[in-house]
Amino acid sequence: MTAAPDILEQLLRSPSGDGEIDRKALAGLLVEIAQSLKPELRRQQNGVHPGDLQLEQLRTLLVGHEIETVWRLAGLVDDPERLAAAIGRILPTAIAQATRDERMGHVLAPVMERAAESSIRNDPKTLVNILYPTIVPAIRKSIGETIDEMFQRVNQALKYSLTWRGLKWRWEAWRTGRPFAEVVLKHTLVYQVEHAFLVHRHTGLLIAHVAAEDAVSQDPQLVSSMLVAIQDFVRDSFSGAEHQGIDSVRLGELRLWSEPGPFALLVAVIRGDPPEGLHETMRNTLSRIHAERYHALESFNGDSEGLGDVEARLRELVALGEHAAPRTLVARVLILGSLSLLLLGAVAWGAWWWRNQQLWEGYLERLGAQPGIVINEAGKRDGKFVVSGLRDPLAVDPRALLDNAGIDPARVETQFEPYQALDPRSVLKRLNLTLDPPSSVKLVIVGNNIVAQGSAPRAWLDRADAVAQMLPAGAPSFDLAGVRNEDEADERRWQAYVDRLRAQPGIVVTKSEARDGKFSVSGLRDPLAVDPLKLLGEAAIDPVRVETHFEPYQALDPQSVLHRFEASLDPPPSVTLAIAGNRIVARGAASRSWLDRAHAFARMLPAGAPGFDLAGVRNDDEAEEQRQEVAELRQQADQRRWQSYVERLRAEPGIEVTRSEARDGKFAVSGMRDPLAVDPLALLDGTGIDPARVTAHFEPYQALDPQFVLKRLQASLNPPFGVTFAIEGNRIVVNGSASSPWISRARKVGNALPAGAPALDVSAVRDISEGALGKLRDAIQARSINFDSGKSLPAAGQEQVLDEIASELNELVKLSSTLHAVTRVTLTGHADSVGQGTSNLSLSVARAEAVRALLKKRGVDPDLLQVRGAGQLEPLEDDTSGTSANSAAARSANRRVSFSIGFEEEP
Amino acid sequence: MTAVVQKKICMLGGFSVGKTSLVKRYVHSVFSEAYLTTVGVKIDKKTVILPDRIVNLILWDLAGEDDINSLRMTNVRGAAGYVLVADGTRPSTLDVALSLRERVEADFGPLPFVLLLNKSDLKEQWAIGDAELVELRENGWWVQPSSARTGEGVEEAFNDLAVRTAG
Repeated sequence: MTAAPDILEQLLRSPSGDGEIDRKALAGLLVEIAQSLKPELRRQQNGVHPGDLQLEQLRTLLVGHEIETVWRLAGLVDDPERLAAAIGRILPTAIAQATRDERMGHVLAPVMERAAESSIRNDPKTLVNILYPTIVPAIRKSIGETIDEMFQRVNQALKYSLTWRGLKWRWEAWRTGRPFAEVVLKHTLVYQVEHAFLVHRHTGLLIAHVAAEDAVSQDPQLVSSMLVAIQDFVRDSFSGAEHQGIDSVRLGELRLWSEPGPFALLVAVIRGDPPEGLHETMRNTLSRIHAERYHALESFNGDSEGLGDVEARLRELVALGEHAAPRTLVARVLILGSLSLLLLGAVAWGAWWWRNQQLWEGYLERLGAQPGIVINEAGKRDGKFVVSGLRDPLAVDPRALLDNAGIDPARVETQFEPYQALDPRSVLKRLNLTLDPPSSVKLVIVGNNIVAQGSAPRAWLDRADAVAQMLPAGAPSFDLAGVRNEDEADERRWQAYVDRLRAQPGIVVTKSEARDGKFSVSGLRDPLAVDPLKLLGEAAIDPVRVETHFEPYQALDPQSVLHRFEASLDPPPSVTLAIAGNRIVARGAASRSWLDRAHAFARMLPAGAPGFDLAGVRNDDEAEEQRQEVAELRQQADQRRWQSYVERLRAEPGIEVTRSEARDGKFAVSGMRDPLAVDPLALLDGTGIDPARVTAHFEPYQALDPQFVLKRLQASLNPPFGVTFAIEGNRIVVNGSASSPWISRARKVGNALPAGAPALDVSAVRDISEGALGKLRDAIQARSINFDSGKSLPAAGQEQVLDEIASELNELVKLSSTLHAVTRVTLTGHADSVGQGTSNLSLSVARAEAVRALLKKRGVDPDLLQVRGAGQLEPLEDDTSGTSANSAAARSANRRVSFSIGFEEEP
Repeated sequence: MTAVVQKKICMLGGFSVGKTSLVKRYVHSVFSEAYLTTVGVKIDKKTVILPDRIVNLILWDLAGEDDINSLRMTNVRGAAGYVLVADGTRPSTLDVALSLRERVEADFGPLPFVLLLNKSDLKEQWAIGDAELVELRENGWWVQPSSARTGEGVEEAFNDLAVRTAG
């Protein structure tokens, strides 16, 4: 077999530098030769040129064998089937040989694709069937993983949907738009890829290994080999797993996940709970590694040189992990705890609620059983228990019962309208409360009535009676018959006493009362009647317990009137009084006075009183009375005389009588008397009245009668000679002449007269100063004595002046004295302005003195002359300015003594 | 840095020929004997330092069986070489070793291997003659008596393998 293809090959091969021999032509030639040698050959094949027989034979001889072969080969080649069969036989080997050539892959790739395509198009099932053993496990695995993943999600979702964290994560999921499970996984999955082994499948040798920082492992090479060995062991031990590998091993917290690739196995050692997606990640990593280092992996023989990038890929894998570990356990505990707490809470709440209901119902029952309480409505509202109805105020307080029932009062609302219960027990309570029976009384319920037993004071009995009457219709009756009145004896005694009291004359009993052991009686009592309290003693009633209140009144029964009569008139022993029918009759003898009193008394008796008969009483005092009568007449005459005297007195001016009295022979008169008026007592003469019997009391006053005013004025003014006062109508007019001081005094007095007094008119009085006196005065005052400068003695030639002055002065004095006026002359010395003021002053004084002395010498009374110095202060003319001539004249004029005269009234 | 290369080496041999002891003698043992009995294989590593590189020989110590078992063959897959161990005191184990070799070669092609005739320290019981040794060597095989106890021949064997597999 080996020989034939070689030759054929050689034959068919196109010449390649083998000379110019055209092998094809040669072959054709040889075929021709063969055909020419064997003509039958010509018929069998095409393209064989029919030629010479001999040539044929030659051909057959020479290359018969080869021709056979060639013919066979040609037949083979020409026959596609056989050629295909032949090629088909050697094709596998050829391809096996050709596999070494890299080009083979590339060349075959399109062919493979087309082949697959056509196969699928023809019948997809074929390819599917072929791929089925690989696809199915892959699919199954994928589905399994997906389902696992799904379960994991559901598991997580369920686990966390009811927790607080779960809700938070739901919120996060909604917010970020990621599926809830993903968020859950993100938060909960705790895993770390501790190791990543890339193991060569064929040899089990470790291609690359990366471990996490805190991971502990043995020699990775040994580990990887052992992993592979285990895989092999499992696969070999259990049927049905021939084409599969272990893809997941779990040992507690550790998981070994392995992903098989064409040449390498990626094994990840994961601690914790990795998401199913990690498979995908591993597959991706593995396929990337394969894609990147396909050939290196394919031809790996233990040399890890140059596979650093693989390690990098693995490192990526190892970097995966989630660390939130510590919480899982705690979270579970918390979840469980909270759930159980919730459950407990629910149970507890249910139990509590049920218990509350029970308590409530028990309470309602008890409440309803209470007398005086009617329950209308009971239930629950707004979380509170509500009970409403009617409650007798004396019944138990519903709220008080709450405490016993063990219900929290704050959760209960009670609403009870008051009503008056009419059941015996309530009524009993009420009676007890209102009546407050003493300890000697007991109230009991007998049948449907309340019966009181025992003993009680009257007051209580009365009250109880009143209350019993006021019980409303339908209430049980209140029987007091069984209660003995403790106060009965007392009452009887009291009644007896009151009756007796009533019987007393002069006592009217309006009200008597016995209550609470105290008695009171009131009414009217004539003061002369018997004292009610005295009677008490006889009645054997303790006065302390009795109150009496008697208004005084005048009893009009004869007895009382008689008493009164006796009390007020105190009849003498000679008089006897008796009651006759409805009259009081007096007999006997008594003094007039007494009789009078009695009569008066009788007269004063009010209407309705018994009549008073005094006719039977003789008057003892008759003679006496007559005497008295005379005396009285005398007295009357006296009275008359007195009266006329008093009238005369009244008529007197200046006397005002305010009171006059005549009594018992004595007379008194009092009033006001102007001191200038006549003396009242003086008027008594001739009246026949004994002055000794008269008491006159007159207060002084100023009468305003003109007469008196005149007299007074005259007395006080003391008018000078020639001045007269006269009354003209209602005025007092003064005539005559007087000095002006007198006139002014008179005027003042006139003004000071009181209102009502006549007016004083002094207008007719002449002032003497205006007469001769005035003239003289003026003459003297016009004079002056002159002096030389610096001299205190008058200048020469003035003696005559001085004489004249002297005689005028004397005349003046005489004249004034006749007019009852005193003359005063003042000599004033002056100086001119030359010289010092002080020296001028003394100079002026000296000048005045000198003049005085000179006048005295001339016979003027020096007492009349007063001296004063005015210095230069009262110049006649201004001598300080002007021409020297003028000033000299002025100065000369200023050096003088001047006179001034004044009049005064004679003291 | 010198290159570090890993090679998978299988320890093949009959029952109780001393495979484990040999391995124990010279390797960094991580996994215990229990693996051997449960899984059927125990992996060990022997580092051989060559002048130009360091070779980590991953030794797959397979459970010994007298019956040729297909199980073992899967373990040999991917091996760069193997060590055949026979008990020098029991010639039957040599046959087992040889048949194993054939099987390996049939399944995986020719792989470098060494044949260790173990328990060479038991001279009294030595049952394999020199002639046999020569005969074996004529095949071009690397045959060596060895003793796990004394350590004879083991180092060389591994070294040789290391060179031949990694070199």
